[in-house]
Amino acid sequence: MLWYKAWLETRWRFVFTIGSMALLFLPGPLLGVPPERLWRSLQLGSALLYCFAALFLAGAGINSQTTYGAMSGFHRSMLFTLSLPVSRRRLFFVRAGLGAIETCVFVVMMAGLTLYWMPGAIRIAQVLQYGTRAIVCTLAVYAASAFLACVLDEMWQFMGAWLCLTVVWLLQPRSDLVSQLSPLRGMSLFSYPATAPMPWAPVVASAVTATVLVCASVLVLQRKEY
Amino acid sequence: MSDIIIATRDLSMSYGSKPAVRGLNLAVPRGSICGFLGRNGAGKTTTLKLLLGMLRRDAGDIRLFGEPMASEEAAIAARRRTAFVSEDKELYPFMTVSQMIRFTRPFFPTWRRDLEKKYLHLFRLPQEKPVPKLSKGMRTQLMLLLAMARGAELLIMDEPTSGLDPAVTEEIMEALADLVASDGTTIFFSSHQLAEVEQICDRVCLIDDGQAVIDGVLDELKSQYRRILLVFDGEAPKELAHFPGVDHVRRRGRTASLLAHADIDTVVDRTRQLGPRSVEVHPVTLKELFLDHVKGD
Repeated sequence: MLWYKAWLETRWRFVFTIGSMALLFLPGPLLGVPPERLWRSLQLGSALLYCFAALFLAGAGINSQTTYGAMSGFHRSMLFTLSLPVSRRRLFFVRAGLGAIETCVFVVMMAGLTLYWMPGAIRIAQVLQYGTRAIVCTLAVYAASAFLACVLDEMWQFMGAWLCLTVVWLLQPRSDLVSQLSPLRGMSLFSYPATAPMPWAPVVASAVTATVLVCASVLVLQRKEY
Repeated sequence: MSDIIIATRDLSMSYGSKPAVRGLNLAVPRGSICGFLGRNGAGKTTTLKLLLGMLRRDAGDIRLFGEPMASEEAAIAARRRTAFVSEDKELYPFMTVSQMIRFTRPFFPTWRRDLEKKYLHLFRLPQEKPVPKLSKGMRTQLMLLLAMARGAELLIMDEPTSGLDPAVTEEIMEALADLVASDGTTIFFSSHQLAEVEQICDRVCLIDDGQAVIDGVLDELKSQYRRILLVFDGEAPKELAHFPGVDHVRRRGRTASLLAHADIDTVVDRTRQLGPRSVEVHPVTLKELFLDHVKGD
């Protein structure tokens, strides 16, 4: 029932995210835009779209357990939720888990679209490799956003997460370390083409970052006074 | 099986530097209806949230059903046996009455379909109506239905009837009294409605500034306390406040009003020694007890 509750409370954000993608990319083929051009735009914008999805879906009341924002405007049904015989850890994992699944669905759809329009042949192994790194790196962004959702209100969670990503993006060309480990590069076809070998450094860094941030979010929520 | 369902000892909790509950001691026996009274900001809602494990205490002990609330697992186990109705009575705005019931039911293995049907019928709730379109009274009744049908041993409510009309309030009070009579549920609720507390509660706990100032069986409290009204020829003497057994004194010119709780005859005899023109002794109402304790001297 907690999964059902989480779905009820996040579905509009998910529908909005998928709808935005459809609005962005469906008119192209209908208007006869060549697949190469569509692929080029997806190649350039995929990381941005993954980040938007991760940030938007992580803001769906992970802390407040409502349909509203992360923290601002607590809906009183939160007290009903907290009075259920369920641990806060489980409430968080179910809610954040569903958001992560929704994010993954978005990434898979985007990745599928990108590879569908990709000019030239590509092997299944390369498709899986690209899908894996796109998901892992996007989940690091999702975890960062989920963590911020536990400590900031909705607006600052969104803005704060974008700010963090902007800092990473600006540091990429200036620092070898950031460049090696950045999830933004890891999720982008522009940085690592689908035919390139698996970029393990950003994938492992993203997995570690996501794990640490999820643990930190649980600790914050466990200590929170409602 | 413990006979004391709620027990707190020296319970304390602060919001930053501001103490909300200070050394609170409570004991609510099984099968009783206990009214939890106090002014706004006295610490009632904080206490209820502490009992449900929503807030973390700074000091003291909480025992629900005889078990210490020492961990989150213990709080979850206690919440399995407890139903809660919050002050705001807000539910999911995207659900209808029947969806809300279907949604809540699986969380509670002890859910009682017979009680669900009984209260749906009693409260005449329109099952296909969305929650936002329900009146405040109906929303409260739905919250109560969701709480009462859980088959919980303890029902905790925060201001269950605030803002409701007298007819709905009466229906709710009758339903609560019926639940205690038929199922032996223990009810602990905060309220500002002294009349309803007096109507259905067998126990009251009055909290002021985070501390319990009165806690006991309502009838015993009412028989124990007396109001002594004195009229003097001159200004009412100040030493009245120091008489043993006198809880509160209000002096206004030539008159004085004493709230006494022990050995009333001795208190009256001592006041007579101060030479009042008249002495009257009256029983007290819950409202008088409340006002005297929360308004101070």
